Amino acid sequence: MKIILDQDALFDNNKAASFNRDIFAKSKTVVINVMSSPGAGKTTLLEKTVSALSNEFRIGVIEGDLATERDAERIRAVGAKAIQIETNGICHLDARMVSKALPEFDLDEIDLLFIENVGNLVCPSKFDLGQEHQVVILSIPEGNDKIVKYPVMFRVAELVILNKIDLLPYLDFDIEQAKKDLQGVNPKSEFIQVSSKSDEGMESWFDWIRSLFER
Amino acid sequence: MHEVALMGDILDLIKNDAEKRNIKRVSKVELVVGELSNALPDALEMAFDIFKSRNIEMLQKDAELIIIKEEAKAKCVLCGLEYHPSQHVAVCPECNFPSGELTAGETLKVKSYQGE
Ligand SMILES: Nc1nc2c(ncn2[C@@H]2O[C@H](COP(=O)(O)OP(=O)(O)O)[C@@H](O)[C@H]2O)c(=O)[nH]1
Ligand SMILES: [Mg+2]
Ligand SMILES: [Zn+2]
Repeated sequence: MKIILDQDALFDNNKAASFNRDIFAKSKTVVINVMSSPGAGKTTLLEKTVSALSNEFRIGVIEGDLATERDAERIRAVGAKAIQIETNGICHLDARMVSKALPEFDLDEIDLLFIENVGNLVCPSKFDLGQEHQVVILSIPEGNDKIVKYPVMFRVAELVILNKIDLLPYLDFDIEQAKKDLQGVNPKSEFIQVSSKSDEGMESWFDWIRSLFER
Repeated sequence: MHEVALMGDILDLIKNDAEKRNIKRVSKVELVVGELSNALPDALEMAFDIFKSRNIEMLQKDAELIIIKEEAKAKCVLCGLEYHPSQHVAVCPECNFPSGELTAGETLKVKSYQGE
């Protein structure tokens, strides 16, 4: 017997994602899924962000980047509530993993929740976690070709943050080309350049976050 | 390699449906995989073999996976041209402007399955 199913392969994930989305909507929590390749600077950016904004917003972080407690500890050290998801070597977060972590937070007491995804430019891109916003970080040492090489990831970004611009003098990276590539792949995405090390440009990232609360 | 996780979900979907219809053994699974779905057909095949080798009751030993590939297609909102997108997916080759919208290629779905 042949059964025509015609169903999205991510059906179960998407159900869990809308479950999460309802929870976030009820608690009025702004949720940002942060994705990048390993080492692009997700945790560093979040550390700096928590330090700078914790007097404005009550911030929580779900850490999905590798099954160690290290990233979560770095976030706690700067004063946000952080929960580590044990991904056991898996290459992406899915919505059910996030659902399971949610009871650890009192979301009524959290204005801004970051989800640091697993460092990977392929696998996480299609898994909706129920977040409203998606940010992709690209860093100078990764080189210019990443945007056209991983178009699916860059197409889901609402904002692309180019990190480690303090390294520009030492490395061959063409920012104008990167902007052009992003335009060509995802014309709707915004683009910000920062250094999480020297803090250059960080204020525009913070302003972008603030703007989410005014929408 | 998120294809193993994906295949797990795909087989769960089929299992849920098969149980409702009292289908015990699945002999064929048909997927549509888009060029821009971020799932690789080869990796899905491998994942399917992994699940078969795990001796899941539902899946017949000689079960077959059919993958229908879906090409990426885009259409320009300015001039209406339909094109096969290159590196700059959103750039219309006629207008040379990021005015293209994807119309196909992102699909990842279970089309059908066969079983008794
Ligand atoms: N030079 C420089 N190094 C950075 C910057 N941001 C992060 N790093 C370094 O990059 C490495 C990886 O950062 P991390 O935040 O752990 O990356 P993640 O894997 O994406 O979470 C660390 O050694 C950071 O100190 C930056 O803006 N400039
Ligand atoms: Mg990290
Ligand atoms: Zn056109």
